[in-house]
Amino acid sequence: MMQKENAIEVKDLKKKFKVYLDKGNDLKEKILFRKRNQYEDRWVLKGISFNVKKGEAVGLIGKNGCGKSTTLKMLSRIMYPTEGSIEIQGRVSSLLELGAGFHPDMSGRENIYTNASILGLTKKEIDNRLERIIAFSELEEFIDNPVRTYSSGMYMRLAFSVAINVDADILLIDEILAVGDIGFQTKCMEKLREIKKEGATIIIVSHAMGQIEQICDRVIWIEDGKIKEEGIPKFIDDKYLASMEEKRLSKVDNKKNQQQKLSNQEKQKSSWSDRVIRSGNRDVEIVDVAMLNDNTGKNIYKTGEPITVLVDYKVNKPVESADFTIGIARDDGIYCYGSGVMLDSQKPSSIQEKGQVQIQLTQNELLPGKYFLDVGIQSADGVLYDAVCSVLEFHITTDRVTEYGIVSMKHIWQVDGKQIEKV
Amino acid sequence: MKTIKEIYEYRTMIQSLVRRDLRGRYKGSVLGFLWTFINPLLQLVVYTIVFSVIMRAGIEKFYLFLFVALVPWLFFSSSIMNGAMCVLQQQDMVKKIYFPRQVLPIASVTSCFVNMLLSFVVIFAVLIFSGYGINLQAVLYLPVVMLVEYILALGIALITSALTVYFRDLEHILSIITMAWLYLTPIMYSVDMVPEQFLPIFYLNPMTPVIIVYRDILYYKTVPEIATLFQALLIGILAMLVGNYVFSKLQKGFVEEL
Repeated sequence: MMQKENAIEVKDLKKKFKVYLDKGNDLKEKILFRKRNQYEDRWVLKGISFNVKKGEAVGLIGKNGCGKSTTLKMLSRIMYPTEGSIEIQGRVSSLLELGAGFHPDMSGRENIYTNASILGLTKKEIDNRLERIIAFSELEEFIDNPVRTYSSGMYMRLAFSVAINVDADILLIDEILAVGDIGFQTKCMEKLREIKKEGATIIIVSHAMGQIEQICDRVIWIEDGKIKEEGIPKFIDDKYLASMEEKRLSKVDNKKNQQQKLSNQEKQKSSWSDRVIRSGNRDVEIVDVAMLNDNTGKNIYKTGEPITVLVDYKVNKPVESADFTIGIARDDGIYCYGSGVMLDSQKPSSIQEKGQVQIQLTQNELLPGKYFLDVGIQSADGVLYDAVCSVLEFHITTDRVTEYGIVSMKHIWQVDGKQIEKV
Repeated sequence: MKTIKEIYEYRTMIQSLVRRDLRGRYKGSVLGFLWTFINPLLQLVVYTIVFSVIMRAGIEKFYLFLFVALVPWLFFSSSIMNGAMCVLQQQDMVKKIYFPRQVLPIASVTSCFVNMLLSFVVIFAVLIFSGYGINLQAVLYLPVVMLVEYILALGIALITSALTVYFRDLEHILSIITMAWLYLTPIMYSVDMVPEQFLPIFYLNPMTPVIIVYRDILYYKTVPEIATLFQALLIGILAMLVGNYVFSKLQKGFVEEL
């Protein structure tokens, strides 16, 4: 028996899919190519359990293919579990597909009736909601025109308006809040909040963490068919994003390792990022680039924390002087900072056969984000000896976000002449 | 029981699907919905010409004899054929939205049924205006036999709609089966013409009693035998039970198969 305060109880839910290697659907294929009907079992859900209280809003997150949409489909009874049980109290409305059953030749008004009836409303119930639906869609002038004359934005607006006005006890939503312009999206979010306030239970699957944090009381993070963690949205979301980032980095590492195997010559450059682009005549060669203040090996700094870059060079052809430069670009390609020895001193520096150059960025004011370091060596008149772009990847983090953009700036806020204290 | 209650809650969906189907069918054609009447009328004209002028069958008013049986048959065969495709055609909906899946075959069969009712308008018009006449007392049984046929057609459509999802060939196999079935049912001939030793087999055909009753009411203008009607009803209910059982078993896997 379900507990009274729960709207949904999921116990040890498992789902297996048959993955056909090469599927034949008709008689000929079934008989002639019996081998083609071989399949493997794939367990998409490996036993998840959770309860959702009445009036609670829960977000399901996880990367593609982790089983969150499958869970939602089973909650809405589109699919059935292989094992385990789902118990639900109340009327369920699932917004997995918008505009089901829309007929392009019929008017918006007629389509409201068709669509809403598919969502399980009776004629009377639709009559009662018609005004509300039309008003919400903001399509009053066009409501008696055939739907084929609508723009895609109008189409989705109408469809969403029907879906959101069904008045279910339990609302299941799958990635559909990306509807219409920003104004309409805001309206949808407001409507969802209103629905929640009225006591509806909501389950959302989304990749938009912002939306989830706005609405949900709790987040369930599914990974590889199991619940990895659940808890307060902000907390779980950050962990989730951090893990996604870590995974991505480890993938990059793997790739780098493979590249290493391919060319032993590049061995000494094991710390270089995979995005490195190299140019120049190599009369003077960059042997290694390293960043200090780097205990983790992941090049993570805080805003304000000094950064030191070390560049090892060697001379291949007799060159007596050279200019050294560095540059920093954010991962979206925005060039953030650049500096050079000759810019500071107006003359090139004399160099040895082998040596090390160091630059200390004592006042690092970069704001959180992912950055790439460029290093270059060139002659006094600008002939490029060696340049490595995106040679190292580093991250700037912060304990608390207080500013946005690329760099931190010293600032003072005054409101009506009264200075605002920083906390 | 729970399913029936749920399907009842979705009655508006059935209505709108039927309406969409009927309206959509002749969309864009000049005569539009009129085709629903013109079509059977023209068929009748063809049969009249063929069987009264060219191929005399030795049965009085053969075109009427044929037509009052053919219209119910067309309802039955189109129910099976359209029914077989109804889940497949709405697969986008099935994959994304929950509703009792029985709604689809019900709507499909109902849509064919409404079409038959409209054809009956033509039948009655012809019966009355040609001076052939109708027996009002017999016609009272007409809704009963229609209901029986509806139940039978729905039962079979439930099976075909669910099976076709798993086995797409069924669509083509069914068109052969319904063609053979047409000739094995006393539609173009009367039961009297069937050699006696084959009669028991003929009565295994659930459509035989149904067609006999239709013809009794409209062609022979007599009250049908209750026994025949009852036999048809029994088969109809049986088909319905089996159909419902098969459908509810198979529908759980629809989304994975589609």
